Amino acid sequence: MAKTKKYNKMGSLQPNIDDILDWNKLPENAFEPATATEKESFIQERESVSYWKDAWRRLKKNTVAMVALVIIILLTIFAFAGPQIVPYTYKEQIRGSEALDPWHYTLEDQQKINDYIEEHSGSKVLSVEEAIEQARAEAEANGETLSRVEEAKIRASANVKQESAADTEITAKQAAKELGIKSKAFGYSNRELQRKAEGEDVFPHVFGTDDQGRDIMVRVMVGTRVSIIVGVCAAILVLLIGALYGSVSGYCGGVVDNVMQRIVEIIYSIPEMLIILLLSATLKPALEQFQNSGDGVLQNLVTLLGPNLISMFIAFGMLYWVTMSRIIRGQILQLKQQEYVTAARALGAKGGRIISRHLLPNCVGQIVTTTFLQIPSAIFLESFLSFLGVGVSAPLTSLGSMCSEALSGLTSYPYRLFIPAAILSLMILTLNLFGDGLRDALDPKLKK
Amino acid sequence: MRKYMVRRVITAVITLLVVACITFFLMNAIPGNPWLSEKTPTQATIDALNAKYGLDQPLFVQLGKYLGNLVQGDFGTSIKMQKNRPVLQIILEMFPVSAKVGILAILWAVVVGVPLGCLAAYKRETWIDSLLRVVCTVGISMPGFVVATLLLHTLCGGIEGVKLFPALFDGTPGSYVLPCLALGFYPMCYLSRQTRTAMLDSINQEYIKTARAKGLKNGVIVFKHALRNALIPVITYLGPQIAFTLCGGLVVETVFSIPGLGRYFIQSIQNRDYPLIMGTTIFLAAFIIVMNLLVDVCYKIVDPRINLTRGN
Repeated sequence: MAKTKKYNKMGSLQPNIDDILDWNKLPENAFEPATATEKESFIQERESVSYWKDAWRRLKKNTVAMVALVIIILLTIFAFAGPQIVPYTYKEQIRGSEALDPWHYTLEDQQKINDYIEEHSGSKVLSVEEAIEQARAEAEANGETLSRVEEAKIRASANVKQESAADTEITAKQAAKELGIKSKAFGYSNRELQRKAEGEDVFPHVFGTDDQGRDIMVRVMVGTRVSIIVGVCAAILVLLIGALYGSVSGYCGGVVDNVMQRIVEIIYSIPEMLIILLLSATLKPALEQFQNSGDGVLQNLVTLLGPNLISMFIAFGMLYWVTMSRIIRGQILQLKQQEYVTAARALGAKGGRIISRHLLPNCVGQIVTTTFLQIPSAIFLESFLSFLGVGVSAPLTSLGSMCSEALSGLTSYPYRLFIPAAILSLMILTLNLFGDGLRDALDPKLKK
Repeated sequence: MRKYMVRRVITAVITLLVVACITFFLMNAIPGNPWLSEKTPTQATIDALNAKYGLDQPLFVQLGKYLGNLVQGDFGTSIKMQKNRPVLQIILEMFPVSAKVGILAILWAVVVGVPLGCLAAYKRETWIDSLLRVVCTVGISMPGFVVATLLLHTLCGGIEGVKLFPALFDGTPGSYVLPCLALGFYPMCYLSRQTRTAMLDSINQEYIKTARAKGLKNGVIVFKHALRNALIPVITYLGPQIAFTLCGGLVVETVFSIPGLGRYFIQSIQNRDYPLIMGTTIFLAAFIIVMNLLVDVCYKIVDPRINLTRGN
């Protein structure tokens, strides 16, 4: 039987035994050790492209998302590093710089404008009292006394004159236009201009100041910071509650799932704005009371973040986790049928471990995207509440409350509203755009 | 269908009950009481007033009594804002204004948003599409009060010589224009985005090819065949949008000083007028829930393929 070599049939996958036995007959120098460079290149070639790297590569190709990311980073720097650079604080009332516009005229130009106004406001208009005084003096000079009726007549005519003078009065703006004087950027008060002329370094009020002399730029920075903090914290809270609830509901299934989903259904149909309005009106004073109740770790935490902000993102987190939990439940329902879950269970893994180590990491793309898109909607809500006056309150400021403060002086100082409004809109816009890009990058299947 | 309706109605009732309970405990947790005014009343006065309005009883007793009355259609009487006037009467007086603004806003959002979405889908990958996409993306990123104040500033005397509409709401037809424009802007942008996506989906379907092969005119294809099917996801969106518009109304009512229910709701919270807070919340919640229910039923009528009983 020695030489009866068995050949496999054509196309068979069965290895030939004799060939395998032949492999042992290799000469001793058939292999040579790999050189160091070869080893290195071997490692390099095998470097795997991880999920995150792959996503990042896709994201980098998305120009819109990248531009949005750059703007988000700039806004974050503006909000967090900005107040450190500007020498004013958001609640500091700078004397002598009340209600400055974000532009200024140099001292010489101001002089010229004042002269121009004086020249062109026509004959000097007397105030009512002055007119009467004058008439009295005249009458006395003539040896008569001024009767009441005459006095009233003079008063009336002086009033009319004054009113018509007010109509034709020339504003500084018109005067500057006539003289061809251009305003310089940034706001300075006269005192600050003086100091600047003396060679001192004065930080300008880039966006001007409000009626109480607070620097608007710093307030915008702080407001942006408040928005970012509220957005991020609310998103994290939503993530925690939603992921826990959704994964338990999805993993357990059966009666547990049924009951949990009915609860979700009810919360889903609660008109959240109404409850959030009430909730933030309730939580804020309650937290303030708690803050003043002692000196524990929790109380300090409340002091650090401010009762305003905490009540805001608790209100948000309590009602917005529903969407998140639905998404995660849906994912888990699909994933728990997979073989690796069965394998893990066969190896004796407990439910909690399977959820946290096997199921959640596999729907991380969805989780990240949904969490990220919570940020703009939390910011949206925060500004809404602050605008209505139940959100962030004085002395702390936010973009929404700045807008509502500016509403009363809209015609004279429109920029006080439009600067915070523009930054708010820009922030929500870029966060939305980046979130969309993130979704496309992390979950390419969804892309249309 | 009947089974579905029964389930939905039961859920709606439970939801209302939950809303009532949450509102009740939340508003009682707000520090302060309705009797505070410029001069602080004495403790004896406060006690007497509490006793008169039943506020001295345990919370659960109060809640039980309130719910009992509510089932009989009694919303209680206002205890501060409009003293001793029935809450229902106040609500019915305020609500029509809010509803009018809200309905007009939704109407213009649908009338403009859906055709714009169709246009964008029809002219896809052209400058019209890009322009509309930019406008809509910016539109859904602007909070309602920004849109409202922007309109107020540009069209009500902020720019010299331009004063098209009254800045303050006075009930004339002209004063409805700006609030409705502002309120409907966000839904308009959102609707046109949704319509565009849905239209693109349905334009690529086989039956559109069949219609083309039969030699139908473009207009007929777009409006009769594609749009009808594209409207289904749009209708789903209308339900939550009605709720959103009602709440967005809070902002618009504040900006334009409209004497609507939303503004009154915030004032009643600030004044701790407990029956009024309860009444307004329950009324608005019921309205929103009923609207959602109606939209879901419409959904079924528009598209008989949808099986409501099997969940989502």
